[in-house]
Amino acid sequence: MTLGFTLPDRFGSQALGGCYAPETLVQPLLDLEAAFRSALMDPAYMAELKGELRHFVGRPTPLTPAPRLAAQLGLKVLFLKREDLTHTGAHKINNALAQALLAKRMGKHEIIAETGAGQHGVATAAACARLGLSCTVYMGVTDMARQAPNVARMRLFGAKVEPVEAGQGTLKEAVNEALRAWAARCDRAHYILGSALGPHPFPTLVRTFQTVIGEEARAQILEQAGALPEVVIACAGGGSNGLGLLVPFLGDRLQRIAVEAGGHGPDLGEHAARLDGGRMGVLHGCKTLLLQDDHGHTAETASISAGLDYPALGPELAALILDDKVEVRRASDEEALTAARLLCQAEGILPALESSHALALLPTLAAEGAATVLLGLSGRGDKDLSTYQSRSGL
Amino acid sequence: MNPLLPFLMAGDPSLEALPGLLSDAKALGLEAVELGLPHSDPIADGPVLQAAAHRAIQRGATPLRVLQSLAGITDSPDVVLFTYLNPLLQLGAAELKRLLAPTPVRALLVVDLPFGEEPAFEMDLRVAGYPMVPLLAPTTTLGRARQILAERPDPGEGAPYAQRFAYVVARLGVTGSGQGLDLKPISERVADLLQLTSRPLAVGFGLSDPSSLRAIRRLGATPVIGSALVQELAAGRNLREALADRLVDDL
Repeated sequence: MTLGFTLPDRFGSQALGGCYAPETLVQPLLDLEAAFRSALMDPAYMAELKGELRHFVGRPTPLTPAPRLAAQLGLKVLFLKREDLTHTGAHKINNALAQALLAKRMGKHEIIAETGAGQHGVATAAACARLGLSCTVYMGVTDMARQAPNVARMRLFGAKVEPVEAGQGTLKEAVNEALRAWAARCDRAHYILGSALGPHPFPTLVRTFQTVIGEEARAQILEQAGALPEVVIACAGGGSNGLGLLVPFLGDRLQRIAVEAGGHGPDLGEHAARLDGGRMGVLHGCKTLLLQDDHGHTAETASISAGLDYPALGPELAALILDDKVEVRRASDEEALTAARLLCQAEGILPALESSHALALLPTLAAEGAATVLLGLSGRGDKDLSTYQSRSGL
Repeated sequence: MNPLLPFLMAGDPSLEALPGLLSDAKALGLEAVELGLPHSDPIADGPVLQAAAHRAIQRGATPLRVLQSLAGITDSPDVVLFTYLNPLLQLGAAELKRLLAPTPVRALLVVDLPFGEEPAFEMDLRVAGYPMVPLLAPTTTLGRARQILAERPDPGEGAPYAQRFAYVVARLGVTGSGQGLDLKPISERVADLLQLTSRPLAVGFGLSDPSSLRAIRRLGATPVIGSALVQELAAGRNLREALADRLVDDL
């Protein structure tokens, strides 16, 4: 409590989360929490957000039955929550737009963001164009190469994309650079963090703006199927999509599953599965499950999916998993690719590589006896076409 | 007053060079040096210290080896260990204290640990003689500065400089890149802080040329030189040469 935050900043029995930020950022984080709290209580802000989510983002997104895929896999009912149908093509826009509105309210007209797969960067760039804010997105050079269409989209929306050369050139390095940039410009810029991680209040802020996914999905499945599913499942990189879908189902008696990237092998450096091999540690301002070496240096990670290729799990999702409220599974690169093709052929929907990790678990769930499943389709796969082409020999 | 607080990156240019650097710093009459523990994700550091940390890690300067290489060194100013939190947490307080005991380390500057986030860990180390240096940034309000200085208190005039000083961050941003630092805001800041506290102040971030170092001394504070020094040492310059004109005050 000594930092003076008001909202709870620790999660679960192991007190994950916190605010492990350099002193320069502590006051901006206090200011952000205050602005967030006041915005949530301001009917004008909430009305503007609701209006933009409806008319710009395209919410509510549909809950689509997938009967042919369900039959092929041996499931009775499969519903897909279609975040891939939002404007810009992934759930990231829910949070990016809400934070951009918050920045404007705070009088900050400069926006900084990081991006991995490019979906958060594209969403932030679009929100900034919509609201007349300037936007700089930090992106690792490896991710820029494998998600090139998203780099072009950000630039079309008028954003500046700053390549980050350090390390593996992926999301971790992009967050490092965005935090540094924010420390230099925190007097006039707002940092729109894209996942439910980082120092308090970011994990809470992002989760709050993403639970619209699960709230809609829960009401929709009750309306369309007349009952809750047995399983709700979503992929998890930092955890914004996982929390967004799963949190509204926490009070229900059903199986909640988050799927991590199993990459191409079980050894440290070959995957991004934080539950297997991750230890408690501090990275990017929060304490959580972290893939690291014996010296407390962050480990390298690997995944075919840039959006899941991150060494830490967001603190709230990690806490829910450690406290047995959410289960965690992993899917490998190959399993994700196979699952993506299955969905394409059975239902005519091209999923993002991230979402394909959740799809990859469906055969296992069927084998375990699950009959009804609700799956979060976090994004569309257009950005991944070149990977699908090269890995599937199209 | 301690005239200069130099920053060295452990393991750059090499761990073998470290005893000689510390000995030179002592011969120059410095009361303390900051020693950086190389980290994989130095979020508060600019390009120069990032690169130095990366080189040091490549050469095997793990936290364990850095602390082991400091063991038994006495020909040294007091060392302030500049580090990120995670490597210390992974060692744990007990092992960390055991490793620090035979070294000249007298205080810890943990960049990403605001007071109160790891209270038991911090208290354990403080009681063992390793207090955390209070950091005051340009964004720190005077009210919060007062609170920080109370939470990480001055052990008193009998204690060494390394355990007493507060670190004042001269400008927004990360370490390094001293070109054209506007000294006016930091001058006003130091004057305000000297009203709040009688403990020594060190001022760092963006300082490198002799004239700005002198300007900080004239404010009654100790200038910190980091990135520029690390760059010169990596290029093969020795510490005495690199610091000679930066310690001269009467030009």
